[in-house]
Amino acid sequence: MDKNYIKLISGLLMLPAVFLHHNVIILFIQAIYCVFLAVKSGRKFKLIPNLLLLFSIPLIHLTQPNGLIIITVFSFPITLGALIVGLRKALILITLLYLSFYMVSDRPQFPGKFGSLVSLQLFYVGQITLTWSTIKQKRPLIKAMDQLLLNLEEKKGTNQAAKKEKATLKDYFVVAIQLILFYGLFLLGTTLKSGLLTT
Amino acid sequence: MTPLSENRINFVALLGAIALFLSTIEYMIPKPLPFMRIGLANLPLLIALALLDNKEYILLSFLKFFGQALISGTLFSYVGLFSLVGTFSSALVMKIIYSLFKKRVSFIGVSVGGALSSNIAQLELARHLLFGSTVRFIAPPFLIVGLITSMVLGIFANSFTLSSLWYKNHLAERSDG
Amino acid sequence: MLYQLSGSLTTKVKTCYDSAVKNVKFIDIIIIALALLIIILSLYLIGPLKGNPLVTVSSGGSQWAYDLSVDSTATFSGPVGKTTIEIKDSSVRVVSSDCVNKVCVSAGKISKVGQWIICLPNEVFILIEGSIETGGDVDDTSF
Repeated sequence: MDKNYIKLISGLLMLPAVFLHHNVIILFIQAIYCVFLAVKSGRKFKLIPNLLLLFSIPLIHLTQPNGLIIITVFSFPITLGALIVGLRKALILITLLYLSFYMVSDRPQFPGKFGSLVSLQLFYVGQITLTWSTIKQKRPLIKAMDQLLLNLEEKKGTNQAAKKEKATLKDYFVVAIQLILFYGLFLLGTTLKSGLLTT
Repeated sequence: MTPLSENRINFVALLGAIALFLSTIEYMIPKPLPFMRIGLANLPLLIALALLDNKEYILLSFLKFFGQALISGTLFSYVGLFSLVGTFSSALVMKIIYSLFKKRVSFIGVSVGGALSSNIAQLELARHLLFGSTVRFIAPPFLIVGLITSMVLGIFANSFTLSSLWYKNHLAERSDG
Repeated sequence: MLYQLSGSLTTKVKTCYDSAVKNVKFIDIIIIALALLIIILSLYLIGPLKGNPLVTVSSGGSQWAYDLSVDSTATFSGPVGKTTIEIKDSSVRVVSSDCVNKVCVSAGKISKVGQWIICLPNEVFILIEGSIETGGDVDDTSF
């Protein structure tokens, strides 16, 4: 298998282990791990939008009481069950997002005609940026855009073969460990039924 | 289905690239709220309505979604799912409106129709996946912003297609081929 | 320079105006009207801001709350075992209970504010709470 597909496949294999359990603590660990994977692949982690997600989604779910009452605010019950459902959704969202970043970080070449179409598309994006800088009169805008498009017509794209590396045994090993870890967490999540931390 | 000629493939790829380029620009514009989007990347989908046949248009829709999702890394996440649902419902409705009404509608109506269906589809998805019935509080501002931005986009598309030489060339190409 | 800027701005606004007004077609208006209709509808659908009636359960010194309008099931543990309730179609009933007489189970469904079911042996008390404006009526009859 080519090296760029490794992350893609391993990510896909990890997906069920995220969806199929309801344990919020385990989900949190999985989320942190996926963030770690994404950051290691070059993605930046911004705290504020993620915190916002972690607060807003549970907050919205609290409006639908479900479960043990923790506090009553202005005669409205704040329930543990609703909080957990919200947290679970928010954590799945975040985990999925960062897992997704990780999966596509090696620019996997998608197979077939469609894959080459995408490569063409990406090639043209580069051409657009290049050609735009050669356009001297950028105002009026529509005329400039028109000029850009006409200039682009001259160039026809060809597919650039991305450098293909074969995956090494070490790569497979890393992925295997990762999968075992993840599914181990998943099993923990399904068996550890502490009444407080599952839905 | 006859395969696309190399010319057409390049054309669709180019349009897809424009969509991707525009979504990158939009990404850099700071937004007060995360889901209030301008939808710049829909511009090629609008303009290409008269330039592509159905098969090519579907391909373009996919390229628009896929390229953006790939670059932003959200391909396999919920965000990507929202983008997918929004893009395709919008593309479908826009194609239908355009084919049905041809001369009696301008890009403004098409754009608004597309934005409306995209927003409604995304709200429905959010209702099932994330927020439940509380989504109804987000719906009005979301829809209003969508209406305004899609009208502006439609006006721009009108202006562009009227004065663009490039557009006229491809329009002529379409009626020959 | 400001004069030049305002000049190009006015031409830009003018061309926008031209393409906006001159080219607006019949169906455009219809679609925009439809969009406005939907927006108004969405505002209306925000609806009653007061919450739905709640099913509150007291058992073993703790309290639980559930939205009456959302289907769910829940199980509570008490001195004699487990009692399970089911909320469905905006009504509550006890599905099963480990008590001997199962009076709670035969109590059937309750759906109005103020109604209650109790499993005395297992110390589970189920009550529908809410204000009368939320559509719950206080009902005098009991089983």
